[in-house]
Amino acid sequence: MKNIFLGLIGIAILFSCDSKKKPSADEISGVLDSVKIEEPAISEDVIADIIQQIPSPLEISTLLKEAETKYDKSHLNDPENISNYNSNFKKALALGIYGTDLGYTNIYGQNQDALFYLNSIKSLADDLSIGQFFDIGTIKRLATNSKNLDSLLLITTKNFNSINKYLQDQKRSNLSILLLSGGWLEALYIVSKVSEKNPGNEQLKETIGEQKIIMDNVALLLSFYVESDPNIRDLANRFSKLQEEFNKIEIKTVYREPTYEVVDGMLVVKDNSTSEIIMTDENIESIRTMVYEIRNNIIN
Amino acid sequence: MKKLIIALGILFTTSFVNEVYAQCNTEKHVEACIPKLQSGFTFLKSYSIDGQGGAKSKVEYSYVFTKGATYQVQICNDGEGTDGIVLTLYDSSRKQVASTKYQGSTLSGLNFPCQVTGIYYITFTFEGSANHCGGSVLGFKR
Repeated sequence: MKNIFLGLIGIAILFSCDSKKKPSADEISGVLDSVKIEEPAISEDVIADIIQQIPSPLEISTLLKEAETKYDKSHLNDPENISNYNSNFKKALALGIYGTDLGYTNIYGQNQDALFYLNSIKSLADDLSIGQFFDIGTIKRLATNSKNLDSLLLITTKNFNSINKYLQDQKRSNLSILLLSGGWLEALYIVSKVSEKNPGNEQLKETIGEQKIIMDNVALLLSFYVESDPNIRDLANRFSKLQEEFNKIEIKTVYREPTYEVVDGMLVVKDNSTSEIIMTDENIESIRTMVYEIRNNIIN
Repeated sequence: MKKLIIALGILFTTSFVNEVYAQCNTEKHVEACIPKLQSGFTFLKSYSIDGQGGAKSKVEYSYVFTKGATYQVQICNDGEGTDGIVLTLYDSSRKQVASTKYQGSTLSGLNFPCQVTGIYYITFTFEGSANHCGGSVLGFKR
């Protein structure tokens, strides 16, 4: 009876094992870098939930184009700066920054510039053992024809989403967070620069003010690693000062019931709520100054 | 002994459910969904909707929507129509903003012109679903 019982347990264990293929030890060691970060106390699922909330920097680039502001290469991080990034910490941040710059060049149809960013992105991704997500041949082919803009945007967005998921699966969420932090900071930097050049554009100022919500998420994500990673601790301290500036901004919301209609089988929602961002030009100026300082410190 | 046999029975059943839900290929649904984003919308995110063969009643994601942008969420699946997959959108206070279950029909997606920047919760539930499996994409336009 005892033997039958043990046999049944053995079979049960076999059945209950996940049938998905697990990566081999070599595969894992190949992707893990030398600087292994102690896992934070918070669960990976919670981190993943917060990460997925962070909006794509593409949204800001699209806003800039819709606001009819001109493409300005000087707002971007020079792809040649890649030689400045000699640690995984710096590489992950730079990858996020270049990802935003690539999106900006894409949105403006600046394919030649996009190619320079793609080369730097591929190189950083290879160094971080995530180069497999970039089929550089296909991307370059798409980038050489402006008619392929949608496909190029789609493929690069998908790649960055896949990288984030992969890093989380590999329990390297710290790199994923750096990638997102770099990408968000660069978008904030670009919109700050454009807003500075267009002081009369209230929408751009509002966009900066609205980043208060994202700032809170980014600061929270970084806070999970301040104990285990001195580089992240340093970055989190700088972001924390920026967060203090954002805290001076107030977002007031008035809720009203939405209304609906069905168009072509889709529910179209009319959002009747409104929000107001209460801030001064001094708030925006302080945020700009801090963003320039933090970004300058990262890219050089 | 009887308790042991029941416990083992549960273990086997769970293993069986695991095997069945492993067949939910959300990636396939996501790929099929991307071209369904209407013209002018830029792809942002994809979402797996895996109800694990009925073991999971809700799949939830969240995203910060920005005032002034219009977001579109499309749902794709294998079955007839939407196969009972219902998308419900909640705002940051967990107040329901919209549901694709509308006036007796289950619609395949929604358009949301956002007026208040904040965290929104995108929740998928299964109502009479046969496959409990699908994919979804989020796009935006200005």
